[in-house]
Amino acid sequence: MGKTLILLLCAASCALDGAAPAVFAIRDARIVTVSGPVLERGTVLIRDGLIQEVGASVAVPPDAWVIEGKGLTVYPGLIDALSTLGIAEAAATTTITTRGGGRTPALPSIPSTPAMPSETPGPPGLPSIITTTGPPAQGPEDRPSNTSWVRAADLISPTDRRLESARSAGFTTAVTFPPRGIFAGQGAVINLAGEKAGQMVIASPAGLYLTVSSGGFSSFPSSLFGVMAYIRQVFLDSEHYVLAKQAYQNQPAGTRRPAYDRALEGVLDAPRLLIPAVRAVELDRMVRFAAELKRKAVLYGGHEAYRVTDLLKKSGTPLLVSLRWPERSRDADPEDQEPLRMLELRERAPSTPGALVKAGVPFAFYTEGVSTSRELQRAIKRALDAGLSSADALRAFTLSPAEIYGVADRLGSVDKGKIANLVVTSGELFQEKTQVRYVFIDGLKYEPLPETPEEVTR
Amino acid sequence: MKSLWLVILAAAPLVAGPPTVIQNAKVLTVTKGRFDGSIVIRDGKIVEAGERVLVPQDARIIDAGGQYVMPGIIDPHSHIAAESTNEGSISVSSMVSIKDVLNPEDIAIYRALAGGVTTALIMHGSANSIGGVCTAVKMRWGKDASGIQLDGAKSVLKMALGENPKRRGGSTPFGVSATPARYPATRMGVEDVIREAFIEALAYQKTWRDYQAKLKRGEKPVPPRRDLKLDPLVEVLEGRMLVHAHCYRADEILMLLRLADEFHFNIKALIHVLEGYKVAKEIAEHHSSATTFSDWWAYKMEAIDAIPYNAALMMRKGVLVSLNSDSAELMRHLNQEAAKVIKYGGVSEDEALAMITINPAKQMDVDNRVGSIEPGKDADLVIYDKHPLSNYAKVQKVLIDGELYFDRDREVSQRTDKESRKKALLEKAREQQKRQGPPAGMTRRPS
Amino acid sequence: MKTLIFALLCSLPLAAGTDDSFLLRGVTVHPVSGADIPNGAVLVRDGKIVEVGAKLAAPKGLRIIDAKGLHVYPGMIDSATEMGLSEISSVRETNDTTEIGDFNPQLRAIVAVNPASEHIPVTRANGITSVITMPQGGIVCGQAALIHLDGWTWQEMEVRPSVCMNLRFPVIQGGSGRASFREGMSRVPFAEAKRNYDRRMQQLYDFFEQARRYQKAKAAGSAEVDLKLEAMLPVLERKLPVVVNASRERAIKEALRFAEKQQIRMVLAGAEESWKLAGELKSQNIPVLLGPTLALPAQEDDPYDKPFTLPGELCKAGVKIAFGTFSTSASRNLPYQAANAVAFGLPYQEGLKSLTLNPAEIWGLADQLGSIEKGKWADLIVTDGDPLETRTQIKQMFIKGKAVDLENKHHRLYEQYLRRP
Repeated sequence: MGKTLILLLCAASCALDGAAPAVFAIRDARIVTVSGPVLERGTVLIRDGLIQEVGASVAVPPDAWVIEGKGLTVYPGLIDALSTLGIAEAAATTTITTRGGGRTPALPSIPSTPAMPSETPGPPGLPSIITTTGPPAQGPEDRPSNTSWVRAADLISPTDRRLESARSAGFTTAVTFPPRGIFAGQGAVINLAGEKAGQMVIASPAGLYLTVSSGGFSSFPSSLFGVMAYIRQVFLDSEHYVLAKQAYQNQPAGTRRPAYDRALEGVLDAPRLLIPAVRAVELDRMVRFAAELKRKAVLYGGHEAYRVTDLLKKSGTPLLVSLRWPERSRDADPEDQEPLRMLELRERAPSTPGALVKAGVPFAFYTEGVSTSRELQRAIKRALDAGLSSADALRAFTLSPAEIYGVADRLGSVDKGKIANLVVTSGELFQEKTQVRYVFIDGLKYEPLPETPEEVTR
Repeated sequence: MKSLWLVILAAAPLVAGPPTVIQNAKVLTVTKGRFDGSIVIRDGKIVEAGERVLVPQDARIIDAGGQYVMPGIIDPHSHIAAESTNEGSISVSSMVSIKDVLNPEDIAIYRALAGGVTTALIMHGSANSIGGVCTAVKMRWGKDASGIQLDGAKSVLKMALGENPKRRGGSTPFGVSATPARYPATRMGVEDVIREAFIEALAYQKTWRDYQAKLKRGEKPVPPRRDLKLDPLVEVLEGRMLVHAHCYRADEILMLLRLADEFHFNIKALIHVLEGYKVAKEIAEHHSSATTFSDWWAYKMEAIDAIPYNAALMMRKGVLVSLNSDSAELMRHLNQEAAKVIKYGGVSEDEALAMITINPAKQMDVDNRVGSIEPGKDADLVIYDKHPLSNYAKVQKVLIDGELYFDRDREVSQRTDKESRKKALLEKAREQQKRQGPPAGMTRRPS
Repeated sequence: MKTLIFALLCSLPLAAGTDDSFLLRGVTVHPVSGADIPNGAVLVRDGKIVEVGAKLAAPKGLRIIDAKGLHVYPGMIDSATEMGLSEISSVRETNDTTEIGDFNPQLRAIVAVNPASEHIPVTRANGITSVITMPQGGIVCGQAALIHLDGWTWQEMEVRPSVCMNLRFPVIQGGSGRASFREGMSRVPFAEAKRNYDRRMQQLYDFFEQARRYQKAKAAGSAEVDLKLEAMLPVLERKLPVVVNASRERAIKEALRFAEKQQIRMVLAGAEESWKLAGELKSQNIPVLLGPTLALPAQEDDPYDKPFTLPGELCKAGVKIAFGTFSTSASRNLPYQAANAVAFGLPYQEGLKSLTLNPAEIWGLADQLGSIEKGKWADLIVTDGDPLETRTQIKQMFIKGKAVDLENKHHRLYEQYLRRP
């Protein structure tokens, strides 16, 4: 009696989709588990935010809210492998400005030949904001542009407006990072819904986000090799820091104490580094740089990786591939001649995912602002057309990013015991006609926003 | 795209390849005179060079058709193939390294190759009194960043004196206002900056020596903090890194030589050194050398006394002299610059050619490997259709490590292929653009 | 006094000649306008060439210069410099090329030429006898002057004080053009760059309109003198050619259209991508003042030798070309610009012509300069070989028949420091 009352009260108190009952069953749907073979007809049972059962014949308990799955497909919830979702301050500056124009000075990846203006897209990754306040830095010891101790997990806001549109496109999870600076900070794997910020965090820290941006001529570092020297020095300092702290710990008496350095604390905490690399030259450079730093690294950007798959394979470095395929800048002079090299990159970048699969290089996708279903479909279609299978495309949004970030034991596939993050669609995911019907995050059901007219005409 | 991979495959292990013989050539060895004959190349090295040679049975023959062969040109001062030039925010930026930012896909490499250059020293710029660490590369077009490096070459530390490193001392550079001034603002300050840096380096060196001593005694001390800025300076003090210094005026040249004497290191090469002729004696006494422009002058105050006789005059006073380009354009015709040293100063042909081959090789400490046509050296060779000191001479072929990296006939014949590939991609892009709509701001297309 | 002694030493024992009259003989004469004359002679009187031939009789009392085994060419003409207007390019106080404002046709470069500039003796030491020196500021920069590289004052130096109008054709900035800094550059979006360009083009068209109205008003006798517009009249009347500086294809196309519309006599300068429009240049009879041959290709994908083959391509298409260094300190290297073009396809004679007769014709001074022909100024260089080759030495130079001192600052410093113990 009491239980039923509570249940009824719960049911009555949910006006919105968020506060739904704790037990769900999606019955007789097509289930793409990713970790195993497709279940043409199966049932997923969700309880208390976890996948309790998944199989061809699963008994549906009486207290479950049932969704009839005929005509529907269930996938693991999509993971955006590099993002600022959930960080409210990043929302203000995350109207992805067109690459190559209008952004605050950031280090463009252009070669030393006279640059063609509509050239390479701007730096990969998150919109980078460089703030130069205070006197110019005189060297690495001033720790310019370094907020490595900042944790995305501490900055999450459940009311970030972007969360809803991300969910509508099928995303349940994002690996979100503070976007500001060279040592930007520690990321967190978060679910894209929750009442409180703390509830959203799945794993933290997820990795240290690095950029090679520099601001202006007058403050160190003001060049790419300046940034690299700086990063190298900071890592050396962090190794020394450990030794110095240890020595002091062992024998404080008579020893000068080492200064506390929060930047180094942040660097030491990172389970992996995220390093930008788009062009083959950059991928080559950063693979070697990461090896030199003796830290686990993940490269992001990846558009020209199709040329260096062997190198990536050998180094065991995973790659995050941006779905914002390189395109000619809208701001560009229409009569500007672009070099063949650029045209080829643009043509062949979408073949990177397929090439990575062939070579056995682990990789995941990130949206880099390609946020609506339609845009996503278009972007993924280019990769599919260039040789990526849809199964591999899906994996790059689910189990692969989970593996890369070390959370594959709890996320990334429709398996018993994992977090109940699912996307339920009307058909094959990433196909034009397919619509997202529901998204489950931590076992709670969400429905997508209706598509706005702007999105439709894009 | 395909050609890139083909070149990479073609440049794969040379050990497996057959020997190459360049026949029927007018060979300018630079160090051992000239002869009409042949050069035998095996495993990337010159094994024989003379009027009559033993031609291996399986040799690939290159018939030079009576044309001229000289050693590949060496440019000891260039900024190509690197994605950074200056870390100009601070006055001592020895922590940065060109090696970190090499760009093997810079078209300037290919263009230099087509101008006969086979080796170049890629430099940090001259924005700071002490710049970064510089790297020697070969123009191996098609290889990756590790592939273009000249293995085993000593690193070089860049220094700069005169107007450039003091430009940011208070005045507003490049029209940007409100940029904070950066010390130094005078030539006096430049000396101060360099001296301070080496004092710091000496102290740093001492902390490491003390540490090593403690280790030897069986202690377990915490090692000193490694400072990437000071490491190269210590290497300079210990003779393991060369110093090349950009300078113009006689007074600053002398200043640096004296300062180097004070700290017991050698200035391996003075760059540009346009007033070097005024202090040639002192340069020779310090066992430094010079790498200069043939005839640039009057672009800055410190260049007003620059004379095209500089190279010849310094040479006559006992200084080792080379020419450099400091320019992706000038790099393409260093052979013509060498001819100017004959015009202004009357040096011999071999002396002029030495200034773009063996002399820069010596300044980079790679003269055991490159810079002349002698058995044992790398097969870095250029074939010209006329004598290289003629303005009418055109580069026909360039070999690096015995591999053909540039072939004018082949390149010319491949142009239409490249053009059609580009056309096809442009068409495709145009189609795509049409579907996406016009770019922002275009109301009418310019006709 | 010295001149007299010199003349006595040079002439027959009897009467002394004037210092701009002589017979140069025993040389290979390269007239440029005709076939070479081995073992020829040039007779000069009062600064003018009077006779050129195989064997010329030595008139009584005339100074004879025997130059056996040597060669004589017309002095070379650099059609694009800032000679006398700029001493040290990075020091503002020494530069007089760039005035404030976009439309300054009334400015005359000639009056700002410093006859004591070090660049003058340095340049002529390698065989350049005259140059065009050009103002550079704004769009309509001002009147360039063609000067001899000899004279106590600019007035003595002037050959034609107003030889052409220099015009820097507007370009769409920020979209096209090379980024000078690799790092941290923010680019102007095309739309904005195009707006700026359209505005400047409109200003240019308006300015020409204004000039036309002034022309009409003046003809009707009802105009108040306006110096700027007054200076435009020779342009409108096609008496003064306009050097239009444009490099890229689009800019050149627009410039051609502009020239046709405005009915001006145009000379295209810079012209990096002019090879794409050779046909149009030929059909509109527009000569080209070429930028340095020794330059990098405009586009990454251009053949590596494009700048070298360009002069030959234009010549083949029937376009008249002249070389200019667009420099002051490197003006002495003018002949090597031609040499590199010759290496890559420009016929040698055409190369030589593009340094001498072609510029003379383009600038309307073919009656005075550009070849060794009767009636022209004796602007001559005596060399020990082909002046397009670096190792050739200039042995003697004559400007208007007067021997020119080839000594210069560089050689003086050389001598001085050679003597340092």
